[in-house]
Amino acid sequence: MVLLVYSEVNQDSNLNLFCFFCFFFVFRTLGRQSVCLAKPQYSVLYRHVAPMGSTAKEEMNKFWDKNSRLNRPMSPHITIYKWSVPMMMSITHRGTGVGLSGAISAFAVAALVLPGSYPYYLDLIHSLSIGPFLTGLAKFGIAFPVSYHTYNGIRHLGWDMGKGFKIPEVYRTGYTVIGLSVITSIALLMI
Amino acid sequence: MTLMDHRTYLLSTICATLFTKLHQKNEKKITERRSVTSMAKTQAAHSNSKAASLHWTAERMLSVLLLAMGPVAYFNPGPVIDYSLAAALTLHGHWGLGQVLTDYVHGDTKIKMANAALFLLSTITFTGLCYFNYNDVGICKAVALLWSK
Ligand code: HEM
Ligand code: HEM
Repeated sequence: MVLLVYSEVNQDSNLNLFCFFCFFFVFRTLGRQSVCLAKPQYSVLYRHVAPMGSTAKEEMNKFWDKNSRLNRPMSPHITIYKWSVPMMMSITHRGTGVGLSGAISAFAVAALVLPGSYPYYLDLIHSLSIGPFLTGLAKFGIAFPVSYHTYNGIRHLGWDMGKGFKIPEVYRTGYTVIGLSVITSIALLMI
Repeated sequence: MTLMDHRTYLLSTICATLFTKLHQKNEKKITERRSVTSMAKTQAAHSNSKAASLHWTAERMLSVLLLAMGPVAYFNPGPVIDYSLAAALTLHGHWGLGQVLTDYVHGDTKIKMANAALFLLSTITFTGLCYFNYNDVGICKAVALLWSK
C-alpha cells in the first residue's frame, strides 16, 4: 500500500503535509470503502485516476510493469523525503510488529525443538550471572517494543475511527505515545 | 525432547487443520481485498469491497481484543487466557505480516510463495505456543517468571 502514492506525487520536498493526508485519508477510506469511495471530498486522491474499464488487479499489474520498465526505486523513496517524527513512528510500528512476531515465532519453535523446560532454561541463563546491566537491557528490549506497539496501536485504532487526523494532533498523539512508552518500559524495568 | 510423541502429534494435527480450515475460508476474500487496495479500487466490484471491509473490521476487532487481553492475563492468569493469547497473537501477527508482504513482495509467483511461507510460519507458531501451554508453564506464567527474576 505504501507504494501506491508513488505515481501520484512528484518527488518534491515539502510534500510532507500532503503525505500525511494521504496516509490517513487512504486509511480511513479503506475502512469505509463501501461507503465513501465516490464521495467528492476524497476527490483529491482520485483526481488523477481516469475512469477505466479494467479491474483493480489489471491496474496494479500495469502499475508494476511500468515501475520495473522505468526501473523506478521502491516507494516511499527512503532517501528523498525529509524524515519526520510521524514517518519514523510509522516505520517503528511496523518494525516492532514484525520484531515481536518474529520473537514469538522463535519462542514457539524453541518450545517445540528444545528438550528442556522453560524454567530450566531460565535458571540456566540466570546461573550465567550476566549482571544487572545486561538483564536490564534485555528486559528493556522486550518492554519497549511491546509498550510502543501497544500505545501506537491505540493511536492507529483512533485513526481507524476517524479521529486525530489534524497535523497538530498527529504530532501530539505521537509524542504522547513516545513518552508513555518510555515511562512504561522504565517502570517495567523497576518492578 | 518429545516432539514426535503421540500428544504432540495430535495437537499439531488439530492446530494445522483448524488453521487451514479458517485460512481457506478467508483466503479468497483476503486476496480480493489485496487486489482492491490500489487507487484503481474505484473500479472494484462491490461484493469484493464488502468482504474486504469485513476483513478490515475483523483485524481491528482482534487488535482491541488483544489489547483487552493484557489486563485480563495480569489479573486472571491461567490456561484459558494462555490459549486465547496463543490464538490471538498468532492471528494478529499473521494478518499483520500479511500486510507487510502485500506492501513489499511483488509478482504473482513470489506473492504465492511468500504467503505459503507465512502460512507455514503461523501454523508452526500456533502449534508451538499450544505445545508450550500444554507441556510447559504456559504463556502467562512464562512472562511472570521472566519478570520475577
Ligand atoms: C521515508 C518515509 C516513509 C516511511 C518510512 C513510510 C512508512 C510507511 C509505513 C510503514 C506504512 C504502513 C503502515 C502504516 O499504515 O502505518 C505506510 C503507509 C502509507 N504511506 Fe508511507 N512512509 C513514508 C513516506 C510516505 C510518503 C512521502 C507518502 C505520501 C506521499 C506516504 C503515504 C502513505 C500511504 C498513503 C500509506 C497507506 C496507509 C494505508 O495502509 O492505508 N508515505 N508508510
Ligand atoms: C505483542 C504482541 C503483538 C504483536 C506480535 C503484533 C504484531 C503486529 C504486526 C506484525 C503488525 C503489522 C505491522 C504493519 O503492517 O505495519 C501489527 C499491526 C498492528 N497492530 Fe500489532 N502486535 C502486537 C500487539 C498489538 C496490540 C496489543 C495492539 C492493540 C493496541 C496492536 C495493534 C495493532 C494495529 C492497530 C496494527 C495495524 C497497523 C496498521 O494499520 O498498519 N498490536 N501488529
